[in-house]
Amino acid sequence: MVVNAEGIPIRTTLDNSTTVHYAGLLHQLTMKARSTVRDIDPQNDLTFLRIRSKKHEIMVAPDKEYLLIVIQNPSE
Amino acid sequence: SVHGAARLNALGEGSMCDSRSVRLTESVFFNQKSCQTGEVAMAEVAVQSRSSRDAAVQTDQSAVPDVQQGACVDDSGVLAFLRRVEEVVIKELNKNVTSRAFDGFDVNWTDQNRTVLCLHTLSYPEAQDQHLQVTGVSWNATGSVVACSYGRLNDGDWSTEKSYVCTWNLDRRRLDPQRPDLVVDAPSSVMCLAFHPSQPSLIAAGLFSGETVVWDTSKPEDPLMWRTGMTDDTHTDPVYQVHWLPDAKHGNHVQLLSASTDGKILVWREERDGRLMVAEGFALVAQQIPRSAQLRKLVWGEAAVGVTSLSFSHFDPHVFVVGVEGGFSLKCSTAADTPAPCRTGGSVPLRAPAELAFSPHSGPVYSVSCSPFHRNLFLSCGTDGQVHLSSMLQTQPLISLQLSTKYLFCVRWSPVRPLVFAVASGEGDVHLFDFEKSSQKPAVSIKQAVDECPVYCLEFNTKQTQLLAAGDAAGTVKVWQLSSDFTEQRPREMNHLEQLASELTD
Repeated sequence: MVVNAEGIPIRTTLDNSTTVHYAGLLHQLTMKARSTVRDIDPQNDLTFLRIRSKKHEIMVAPDKEYLLIVIQNPSE
Repeated sequence: SVHGAARLNALGEGSMCDSRSVRLTESVFFNQKSCQTGEVAMAEVAVQSRSSRDAAVQTDQSAVPDVQQGACVDDSGVLAFLRRVEEVVIKELNKNVTSRAFDGFDVNWTDQNRTVLCLHTLSYPEAQDQHLQVTGVSWNATGSVVACSYGRLNDGDWSTEKSYVCTWNLDRRRLDPQRPDLVVDAPSSVMCLAFHPSQPSLIAAGLFSGETVVWDTSKPEDPLMWRTGMTDDTHTDPVYQVHWLPDAKHGNHVQLLSASTDGKILVWREERDGRLMVAEGFALVAQQIPRSAQLRKLVWGEAAVGVTSLSFSHFDPHVFVVGVEGGFSLKCSTAADTPAPCRTGGSVPLRAPAELAFSPHSGPVYSVSCSPFHRNLFLSCGTDGQVHLSSMLQTQPLISLQLSTKYLFCVRWSPVRPLVFAVASGEGDVHLFDFEKSSQKPAVSIKQAVDECPVYCLEFNTKQTQLLAAGDAAGTVKVWQLSSDFTEQRPREMNHLEQLASELTD
């Protein structure tokens, strides 16, 4: 799904409620991750975020205006 | 009297009055008067509404902000962004598919509990004195109250012996295992029990007399809310299973469903003055059971097929599996519309729901359970001591396990682990099976009762997933706390389950 800078989803392949849920939470997490990276080294910036959970992997590609969120089931 | 009144005569010359000589006694008149309003007219009138209508208001779940599909979005901006990130993301996706970095990597977030222990042993001494057995247990919607029903499973006579339904709130600090929080008297043996799925205080029970009743445990003085009474419509045999059914037509409403060995499965609707009326019903008649070519030919006829257990699919609200006295499990649908021959007068026409008959057990089926994780899998167990794991797509079971030399009374899937189920046996054991560990023998066998005292019923707690309640013939309910292996889903469990389900032999 594609999310804009305010955390509002713009394009998605999932159902509405799941999309809104993911968008809100991951937008906040991405902002926090980005500020963490820049806090440690102000010259650095976040390029990619991956969260691995028991059931799947969530990948976030951030940008100035948008976020791309991809959810993948890891292979067996 | 007025003293020393100075008096001014007409010429303005004052002259003093001698207070002694002047004594003006003003006689004080007392007059007694009372006041009374006129007669207030009063009339007594009673008002009774003669006609009423039911209206329900329900907010819909779909009040979710819609995803803005390009309303105020710069399409070219999104396109440029996607082009920028596409390569990076695809590279990562491909890496994941081939990655072995996380193989065998498991994280423990909670304290690992290695053992199964008995948290509570609950009983009602009065019922135990009458040698009543626990016939059903149920957890309520919040997972904090456990209820059990007392009755007799091995006695087949039409006794009008009273029995009890007891509830205990396990979250109370001063929990007394010998004194239930609430004891409800039932007019005859209670055979099965079910708490309402969303209202924590409503509990439905099926009685030996064929009645179905609903109690409200939040009203201890008069808990009886609805009952079916004994009409032409009610069951003529003991009710062995009650189930709260989400009503597809009315959104979040639930209806009550009861199944009995007279072959009827009835759906009840709440009416005024505490009565339950039949909304729709199904009847299983031997000649209408679909026969597959592989099943052995048995004696058929117009005999009613006694229903002993029922389980609805978690994926399709119309599909349910029924276990019958003849040893068959049947796949049924609430959407069926072939009428069933009705022997006794009833107000609602009954339909034949059976669609597929599965390979039978060699004895009555006592319990069936549909998997909450896979749409086709279900378990059945019965008096032959076997548990069959079957798929709804074929008549032969996928796996047959001989677990006991005695009867198996209840089988339930775990609500959290797709590969785990529990079975209650006639030898007094609760067996916990884990297909991940072994498909031949139980992972854990819990000894609930000694001296071959059968365990008749068990239920997992869906809210506090480490709890399992089991009731036995000695009249006690034991609440077991399961070890952590049984409460957390493993990483590749769903795939294993899919694999099991797809090993079809037909």
